[in-house]
Amino acid sequence: MVALSWIRGLLAHRRRRLVSTALGVAVGVALLASIGTFLSATTSQMTGRAIGQVPVDWQVEAQPGAHPAAVLATTRRHAGVVRALPVSFARIGGLSAATGGSTQQTGPGRMLGLPDGYSAAFPGVIRVLAGSGTGVLLYQQTAANLHARPGDVVTIGTGRTAARVKVDGIVDLPDIDSMFQQVGAPVGAQPQAPPDNVVLLPQPTFDRVAAGGSFVTQIHAGLSHALPGSPGAAYTQVSGSARNLETQLAGGGLVGDDLGTTLDAARHDALYAQLLFLFLGVPGAILAGLITRSIAAAGRDRRRRDAALLRTRGASTHQLVRVALAETAVSAGAGIALGLAAALAAGASAFGTASFGASTSAALLWSGGAALAGLLIAAGSIALPAWRDARSLTVAGQRAEVGRRDRAPWWARYGLDVAALAGSALVFWQASRNGYNLVLVPEGIPQVSVNWYALLAPVLGWIGAGLLAYRLADLLLVRGRTTLTRALRPIAGELSATVAATMRRQRRLLATAVTLVALTCAFGASTAVFNATYAQQAEADARLTNGADVTVTQSPGVSVGPSAAARMQRVAGVRGVEPLQHRFAYVGADLQDLYGVRPSTIGAAGKLQDGWFQGGSASQLMGRLGAHPDGILVSAETVQDFQLVEGDLIRLRLQDGRTRHYTTVPFHYIGVAKEFPTAPRDSFLVANAGYVAAATGSDAVGSFLVQTDGTSPATVAQRLRRSLGAGPQVTDIVGQRKVVGSNLTAVELSGLTRLELGFALVLAVSASGLALALGLGERRRTFAIASALGARTRQLGAFVWGESVYVTLGGLLLGTAIAVGISEMLVKVLTGVFDPPPDVLTIPWAYLGGLLVLTTGAAGAAGAITLRALRRPAIEELREL
Amino acid sequence: MRAPDRTALVRCDGAARTFGSGPTATVALQPTDCRIEPGDRVALTGPSGSGKSTLLHLMAGLDEPTVGTVSWPALGTRPDLRPGPVAVVFQGPSLLPPLTVAENVALPLVLAGAADGAAHDAARAALARLGLVELADKLPEEISGGQAQRVAVARALAGSPRLILADEPTGQLDHVNAGAVVDVLLAAAAHAGAALVVSTHDPAVALRLADVWELHGGRLTTVRPQEDAWSR
Repeated sequence: MVALSWIRGLLAHRRRRLVSTALGVAVGVALLASIGTFLSATTSQMTGRAIGQVPVDWQVEAQPGAHPAAVLATTRRHAGVVRALPVSFARIGGLSAATGGSTQQTGPGRMLGLPDGYSAAFPGVIRVLAGSGTGVLLYQQTAANLHARPGDVVTIGTGRTAARVKVDGIVDLPDIDSMFQQVGAPVGAQPQAPPDNVVLLPQPTFDRVAAGGSFVTQIHAGLSHALPGSPGAAYTQVSGSARNLETQLAGGGLVGDDLGTTLDAARHDALYAQLLFLFLGVPGAILAGLITRSIAAAGRDRRRRDAALLRTRGASTHQLVRVALAETAVSAGAGIALGLAAALAAGASAFGTASFGASTSAALLWSGGAALAGLLIAAGSIALPAWRDARSLTVAGQRAEVGRRDRAPWWARYGLDVAALAGSALVFWQASRNGYNLVLVPEGIPQVSVNWYALLAPVLGWIGAGLLAYRLADLLLVRGRTTLTRALRPIAGELSATVAATMRRQRRLLATAVTLVALTCAFGASTAVFNATYAQQAEADARLTNGADVTVTQSPGVSVGPSAAARMQRVAGVRGVEPLQHRFAYVGADLQDLYGVRPSTIGAAGKLQDGWFQGGSASQLMGRLGAHPDGILVSAETVQDFQLVEGDLIRLRLQDGRTRHYTTVPFHYIGVAKEFPTAPRDSFLVANAGYVAAATGSDAVGSFLVQTDGTSPATVAQRLRRSLGAGPQVTDIVGQRKVVGSNLTAVELSGLTRLELGFALVLAVSASGLALALGLGERRRTFAIASALGARTRQLGAFVWGESVYVTLGGLLLGTAIAVGISEMLVKVLTGVFDPPPDVLTIPWAYLGGLLVLTTGAAGAAGAITLRALRRPAIEELREL
Repeated sequence: MRAPDRTALVRCDGAARTFGSGPTATVALQPTDCRIEPGDRVALTGPSGSGKSTLLHLMAGLDEPTVGTVSWPALGTRPDLRPGPVAVVFQGPSLLPPLTVAENVALPLVLAGAADGAAHDAARAALARLGLVELADKLPEEISGGQAQRVAVARALAGSPRLILADEPTGQLDHVNAGAVVDVLLAAAAHAGAALVVSTHDPAVALRLADVWELHGGRLTTVRPQEDAWSR
C-alpha cells in the first residue's frame, strides 16, 4: 500500500524524475533491440546471399566402377534435391586454331559434355560473352590464347584423336574454381588451380570427341533453398545432407558440397556480425545504463530525503526497499515499452523490418534480452542505491554527495585503470602477432570458434580508459585548484576561487559527468570512424573488383588501342579514362594475368591503396615502375614459388600481336602487388604498358577505367553502353557492390550505421545535457541560497558555466584521446571484417563535427535552461530556506 | 514617538502578497503599511501561516508584492540590497554544502566584489566575533545545526549590513542554542549599528526585542512596544 501511494505521489509531483529514468532505460533497450533486429536480419540475409552465389549446390562425382545413371537416380531421389543433371569431364592434350593467318596452340585443358537444358537448370555457371550460349563454347581465356571468335574452327586434342569443332560462343565461367575442384579432396588440401583451357560441348559432341577416351561423370544438383536463416544452421543441414547422400551412394559417388562450402564462409561472416554487435552495441547499452544511473543519481539526495521522511513516519527498511522496487518497476516498465517501440520504429526505417528477429524465437530472445537489460538498468539506477541507503543510512545520515572524501576510490588506489590499460595493450600485442585472427573456422568442421581472449583488448581498453578518465578529471579537481581557479577566471571572474572550491567538493559528480561525456563521445567517434572505414573499404572492395567507377572491358579477340579512350572521354559525366592492358603471360609453366599500366596516371585512376602493395606505398611502387621501363610487379606467391630477389631477371612468354606466337620478353622484378584493379585474387603481374606494347607489337587495351565527374556511375555506364554499342562489357561500381563477395562488406551496413550513430548522438547529448541539467536542477536549493545572498545572474552563471565547461571540455578532450585509441584497436582487432584491410582510418569529419556541436550545444542548452530557471529562485525554494 | 527626520530603511505601503490566482489563490499577506527605522529591534510574531515569512521576504526584496509597494528609502533600490546593506538569516540550513564555513561566510563579500583575500579576512573576523573560528575550515555537513545557524548569522554580519532580517532563526534549535543565537544577533546588530527584524513564534525570543508586531491570517494586527505586548 505504501508503495502504491508513493508511486501515485511520484506520478503527481515527481514526474520528471520518473520520466528521465524511463528515458534512460528506453535508450538502452532500444539500442539493444535495434541491433538485435539488425543482427537477425543480417544473418538471414547472409544465408540468402550465400545461397544465391552458388550456381551448382552439389557436384556428385561418380566413382570408378559406379554406374553414373544409378548415381544420378539416387541423387534425384535424395531429400532436398530439386534438380540434377549429368555432366561429363575429360582431359584434353590441348587446343589449336588457325586464325589470322597463323596457328595457335594451347597447353593441356579440359573438355566438358553438357546435357540439354543445362544452362537453364544452372543459370549462373555459364556467362555468355560473345556469340551463342549453346553449342560449342570456348572459355574466354582459351579464346584469347587461340585468338578464336564465334564461327572459328578449333581442334580439340592432337594426333589421331584430334577432332574439329566450330565455336558457337565465347563464355566466362565465373565459378571455375568450384567447377574444377577435386571432389573428395581431404580437408585442408591445397585447392588446385583451375585449367586455363576449357571447351564446353553438347553431350552428343562430347561423346563423339571423347569416344574411347576416359572421362568422369559428375551429377550437378540444385537443392531446395528453404534453409534456416542462420548460416551456421543452414551449413549444418546442407553438409549433413551431403554426407547422408554419400552414405546412400555407398561409395558410388562423392559429394562436392559447394553450397556447404559457401555457407561455411558465411557462418564465419555471421560470427563477425555478432562480434560487431558485441563491439558496437554492448558498449552503447552499458553507456545508456551508466547515464541512466547518473541521471538517477542526480536526484539521489532528494530520494534520500524522501526516504528519511518515510522512515521518520515509521517505514521499515523492507518498506523503503519495496517503495524503491515499485519506482524501479514503473520506470523500467515505461522505459522498456518506449524502448521496444522505438526499436521497432528504428528497425522499420533503418532495415525495413518491424520485427525483432527473423524467427519468432529470435524475436522473443532479442526483445526479452533487451527488456531484461532495461530492467537491470532501472534496478541499478534506483533499487540498488535505495537498498544500499536503506541498509546503511540513518534518518540523520541523509547527507548530500559532497564533502572532502579525499580518499580515492578503491580501484584508483589499486591502480585498476592502469592495470586494465596495460592488460589491453598486452592482449592487443599478442593478437597482432596472431594477425588479429578473431574468428577461427577450421575448414570442414561444423563448429566455429571465437578467439575470446583477443576480445579482452577492447573490453579492457574501454574499462581502463573510462577509469583513467575519471582519475584524471578527479585529479585536476583535487590537486589542480590553482590551475582550475586560473582557468575559470574568464568565466567566473572574482568568483573563480569560490567556483573552483565548489567544483572540488562536487568532484565525484563532476568526474563522473566528465567520464560519461568522454565515454559517450569516444563511443560516437569510434563507431563513426569504424563505420566510415568500413564503408570506405566496402567501396574499395567493389572498386578493386570493378577497377574504377565504370569499367569498359573489351570482348575477347577484339583489339582496341588506347586511342579509343578519346571517344569515351566525350561521354557526358566522364572525368577521365585510363587504358589498362590485359594479357596472359607464362611464368614458367604458369599462365598468369599481366596488366600493362601507365605508372604516372594509374595511381589516381585506379585509386590504388598502399595496402595493395608490399615493400612500399602505392605511389612509391608506381614511381619505381615508372623509373624502370622493364620493371614488373609480381604476386607474393610468385616471389615465393620462384625464390625471387629484387632486381632479378624474369623471362615471360607473351603472345606477339603480329605473329600470334609466344615470344620471350625479359622483365626485372621490382616489387610485390597483392591486389590490383580488375585483377584476380591469386597470381597476376603488373608492368609498364609502353614496354609491353613495344615488346609484343600490340598496344591492345583489355579494359578502360573510367572515372566519373560526380555523376552516378550507373548513369555514366548506361551512357557508355549507348555510345559504344553491344561489343564491350560496361560495368559500374554500384552494380558491383551488390554482387561483390560473400564477406561482410557485401552486407548493407548503412542501416546499422545510421542507427548506431543516431544512438551515439542521443547518448552524447544525454550525457552532456540531460545529466548536467538534472544535476544542476537538483541543486536549485544551493543556487536559491546564493541568489538570496545577492548573487547576480552573471554570478550564478559562473557556477553553472564553470561546471558546464569543465564537464564538456574535459569530456571532449578525454573522449578524443579514448576515441583515437579505441578506433585504432577496433579496426585492427576486427581486421577480418574488412576486405581489403584499410591502410588508414577514415575520419568522418562531418559526423564528428556534428557530435561536437551537439555535445557542446546540449551542455550549453542545459546551462542556459538552468540559469533561466535560477534567475528568479522559485518562491517555494525560498520558503524552504 | 520616532523622530520624523529619520529616513526609513524599509517602507511597506499597502503591500500585499497573493500566491496563485483564481479560485485557488491564497492571500499570504493582506495590504500592510509599516516601516523599519535604523536601530529598530522588531519581533514579528504570529502563528504558522500568519504571513511572517512573506512580510520578511518582501522587506528583504526577495519577493515582490502583488499589490502596493515596498521601498528602501535609505538603502536604494532592490538590486542594491543584497549583497550589501540587507542581510538575511534563514530558518533552515542555508549554508552552501560544497563550501567551507569560512567560504560560506565570505561568499556575500565575494559576490559584492571584494577581493578574495579581503573577503576571507573579514569572514574570519566575523567568525571570531561569534567564537566560531575553529569551525572555519569545516564543511556544513561536519558541524551541528546550532553551529550552522550561528555561522549563518556570522555570514549575515560579515558585510556590515544596515538591516538584518532573520526568519525563524531559532525554529530548529533547542532552548539553549536558540538563546545563544539571539544573543549573537543582538550583539551583531549592535556592533554593526543595524536594525534587526526577527520573525518568531517563540515568545522567549520575541521578549528579547524592543518591538513586537503581531500577524494573524496575513494581517498585521498589532504594532506595539515590548512592554505593551507582554505586560498583559
